[in-house]
Amino acid sequence: MKRKLLVALPFLFVGWVMQAQEVAYEEYDLDNGLHVILHKDNTAPLVTTSVMYHVGGKDRTEGRTGFAHFFEHLLFEGTKNVGKGEWFKIVASNGGKNNANTSQDRTYYYEVFPSNNLQLGLWLESERMLHPIIDQTGIDTQQEVVKEEKRLRYDNSPYGQFLYAIGKNLFKVHPYKDPNIGYMADLDAATLEDVIAYNKKYYVPNNAVLVVAGDFETASTKKMISDYFSAIPKGDDIVRSYPKEEPITEQINATFYDPNIQIPASMIAYRTPGFTEREAYVLDMLSTYLSDGRSSKLYKKMVDDQKQALQVGAFNIGQEDYSMYVVFALPVGETTLEVLNTEMEEEIAKVRTELISENDYQKLLNKFENQFVNSNSSVEGIANSLARYYMLYGDTALINKEIEVYRSITREEIKEVANKFLNPNQRLVLSYLPEDTAQN
Amino acid sequence: MMKKLYTLLLVLFAGSLTAQIDRTQMPKPGPAPEINLEDPQRFELKNGLKVLVVENHKLPRVSVQLRIDNPPIAEGDKSGVSSLTGSLLGKGSKSISKDDFNEEIDFLGARLNFGAQSAFASSLSKYFPRILELMADAAINPNFTQEEFDKEKDKLITGLKTQEKDVKAIAGRVQRALAYGTDHPYGEFTTETTVNNVKLADVIQFYDNYFVPANAYLVIIGDVNLEETKELVETHFTPWTKAVPPSFQFSKPSDVQYTQISFVDVPNAVQSEISVQNLVNLKMKDEDYLSGLMANEILGGGGEGRLFLNLREDKGYTYGSYSGLGDDKYAPSRFRAVASVRNAVTDSSVVELLKEIDKIRETPVTAEELKNTKAKYVGRFVMALEDPETIARYALNIETEDLPKDFYKTYLEKLNAISVTDVQNAAQKYFSSDNARVVVTGKGSEVLENLQKVAVNGKTVPVKYFDKYAAPTEKPNYEAAEMPAGFGIKDVMNNYIKAVGGKAKLEGVNSYVLIAEAEMQGMKLNLEQKKTSKNQSMTDVKVMGNSMSKQVLNNETGYVVMQGQRKEMDEAELKKTREESAPFPELGYLNGGVALDGMEDVNGKKAYKVKVSEEKTLYYDVETGLKVQEVTKAEMMGQQMTTTTTYSDYREVQGIMFPYSIAQTVGPQSFEFIVSEIKINEGVTDADFE
Repeated sequence: MKRKLLVALPFLFVGWVMQAQEVAYEEYDLDNGLHVILHKDNTAPLVTTSVMYHVGGKDRTEGRTGFAHFFEHLLFEGTKNVGKGEWFKIVASNGGKNNANTSQDRTYYYEVFPSNNLQLGLWLESERMLHPIIDQTGIDTQQEVVKEEKRLRYDNSPYGQFLYAIGKNLFKVHPYKDPNIGYMADLDAATLEDVIAYNKKYYVPNNAVLVVAGDFETASTKKMISDYFSAIPKGDDIVRSYPKEEPITEQINATFYDPNIQIPASMIAYRTPGFTEREAYVLDMLSTYLSDGRSSKLYKKMVDDQKQALQVGAFNIGQEDYSMYVVFALPVGETTLEVLNTEMEEEIAKVRTELISENDYQKLLNKFENQFVNSNSSVEGIANSLARYYMLYGDTALINKEIEVYRSITREEIKEVANKFLNPNQRLVLSYLPEDTAQN
Repeated sequence: MMKKLYTLLLVLFAGSLTAQIDRTQMPKPGPAPEINLEDPQRFELKNGLKVLVVENHKLPRVSVQLRIDNPPIAEGDKSGVSSLTGSLLGKGSKSISKDDFNEEIDFLGARLNFGAQSAFASSLSKYFPRILELMADAAINPNFTQEEFDKEKDKLITGLKTQEKDVKAIAGRVQRALAYGTDHPYGEFTTETTVNNVKLADVIQFYDNYFVPANAYLVIIGDVNLEETKELVETHFTPWTKAVPPSFQFSKPSDVQYTQISFVDVPNAVQSEISVQNLVNLKMKDEDYLSGLMANEILGGGGEGRLFLNLREDKGYTYGSYSGLGDDKYAPSRFRAVASVRNAVTDSSVVELLKEIDKIRETPVTAEELKNTKAKYVGRFVMALEDPETIARYALNIETEDLPKDFYKTYLEKLNAISVTDVQNAAQKYFSSDNARVVVTGKGSEVLENLQKVAVNGKTVPVKYFDKYAAPTEKPNYEAAEMPAGFGIKDVMNNYIKAVGGKAKLEGVNSYVLIAEAEMQGMKLNLEQKKTSKNQSMTDVKVMGNSMSKQVLNNETGYVVMQGQRKEMDEAELKKTREESAPFPELGYLNGGVALDGMEDVNGKKAYKVKVSEEKTLYYDVETGLKVQEVTKAEMMGQQMTTTTTYSDYREVQGIMFPYSIAQTVGPQSFEFIVSEIKINEGVTDADFE
């Protein structure tokens, strides 16, 4: 009775489905190739100015890893008109905040200001694109900062190296095999010429998207954008031709030692399609099904009922060329990693052989809908999504349409995709162990 | 094409544009933006419920806030009744069981919470009609049951118990009580006694009296349209019976005649809580409201405030020092400048706090300070506006605080217009130097001597004394805590040894094993400790079955394993560990090396204080002779860390008394180990110490 009631509920509201939530935007190109996206929302007098560059960890030559992340730091050092060390002060004393981040595929810089400082935000980003100061002093300083960051976030952080450990085993030839932050030896070896050349190649308007989101007046904003950005010279076209990987047909077994942990982890990983593929969306749903929330399959079984795992998770690490699908568990007490692997595989096998229940399917859709609505709840977040959908997915409109992709995925398709990509002979089984054990 | 566009643009901007931009110049901010806050639509039900609707179709979601803006309520000897009413609301309704109610809200992915005189809900807009219905049903037809009442009452009392020795909780209570008096709604407080006076009938009475629509506002924000919303609200909230809450007169609080220290002795305090406070009559609609906020922001608004820069950055007295300026339309509110400081710098901190208040009253702030503070404040204000809950609060403030309609629309302009003089005037009006009450809650035996010497402008600040419930009391008399004549350290040790079983028994212990368990943030901590009389000890703490830290001493060698990393002990560490390795170090203390250092209160009982070293002090109960507390100090990353271990629940094992409860407080963390097993002279081998 109870179940029937719950299933019936969504249909009561069928007439209401898919109202509103249209993120309005307009987009155009400057002559130098800079793509501009404007999202106007006058609800609050604040404005986000952001630039996403299509450059990430994977954009490097052999022996020069970690450059994109290094640039994330370097490009705060100052410009011809922004004094060294002034960037953050300027932002704070004008009531703003700013930050940046780098993935294997792209780098994102942004500021949020009260809307009367829109011009300041545009000026700062155009300064960064036009003429950053790149000199040996800055390189030396930031090399040290990045090393500190590496120590803090990866080397000294429990499980901090799992992404690297998986990447290096799932990829043989594609740059995803190397850590995003790079090898320190590569950074040390970088010459001023290398760095200047990298800047000239990637940090150019034709490899960037500028987003202005929030409270602004369209015509004057376009004028300002033109004033500040049009004069920035276009760079050469960028060709990305990274080596393709051969399919994995036999299980890979690997071990990684982390000195910062005491509890080992078992990780099962698969190489899956890049995030623009429909199959990647299906895998997103699958990870929610397996491990999001207390009633999810893996959590309920391994953590709640059988108390074998301290923690269990499944997630799809979406990347441009290939994604990584990871299922992991940390054992409780005497449980062995083998047992964890068996239990995880059992649930994945079920998805390959049976359809998930109607009720679970409905719950998934509800969860994705909530997630979708809340993903567009701040202007700052919308700016990031617009840039990402344009630059990496090639379709800005996804900001409004992505939920439709999820909605169109059927139970049958979930099963199909699991069958295509999540077979035991396609997986990496990684024992992620405490360093101590290795020595004993 | 391009040219055409430019011409068009130039025409558009003909008035304001001058030639090319100059990128060598950092752009100046434009005029303060007007806030595009729509005026909420408004309607009223016949029962008095006022409804504000802000349509915002950007996202298909809705938030609903119900707030009942009643005047302050004195709960008297039934204090706690409002809190219980809040806890009991939202547990279903007369027609829907609690479980079904929760289940449905979860399935819809919505939120719905109640307070004693409020409710809040959010959901996707397609579920809004149902959520509003559930909210109204739970609000108007609450299902108060004895079973839930008993559960909530237990929870409330447990909560009060955990706060019993909490210095911050004590300080907060006394600060309010002294400012307002304990018979004022803002000064009264809840105790176990008052909660026990509350019956289910009182909750129902409270609900009937105060959960009424006369002063109620319903604020609906998001993807709704007025017509449908109006219909829904009318359908669901019309059954709410019209009523006006009872009203009362309250005593009018007043500031002290002259600046003075109100001291509350809390012997277990390792930090002093200081609040320099005075009453202010400030309402949001006052002309100088924003100037007051600016003055406060500059004085102690955050990491850039003067208090922070002085007491933390410059002096290193505290982790943070801030100030706050309250406003209230019903009663005076408070200005407070606060800091939690180490015992040793309590007096100096009071001096600095008073100095800073004096300074901002007497000397104009700099233009730069004001400019940066405004910018920071503007940024924060603007960023908060994006949150629909902020917008709701503003709409409500305009209604309830009797503000001009454009109060928030012109907020930034008003802020920008504030001058240095405005700030100083506000500081002089709202921050008091001459009638300030300095409430210090701390360990009298360590801080009082110097606190009595605090002088401002050459005049000593008098100290008055209050107990933990704000009643005036005598100055704590530490003199009286003197030893009986001829009583010495040997007597303390002999008393202890006798109390736990006698010298012969203790000397017969060659080894023991202790197994105990504690819980921290839902995780089990397991402690295993083994000691022998041959300079051997082993302490292993496991988290969820995995070793977190292990310390092993075997005569001349020893090591520590933390998070899987092994480190050998150096000489100093070895020495220290050896001293603590004996099953009963008191046997050794009989031969000297420790000193009796007076008496102190430990958890309300007199105890002898025995100094083992600069870092370590032990406390032995005067009456029972048992060891009740151990306090150790250590430097960690430049910070003084104090660990307080309390021993209680002594039980006999083979004729010897062992504490079965070992409670430890380190900084903000505390946990209690409960002993499950103690074995004497068995279960220990040399192999345990390898």
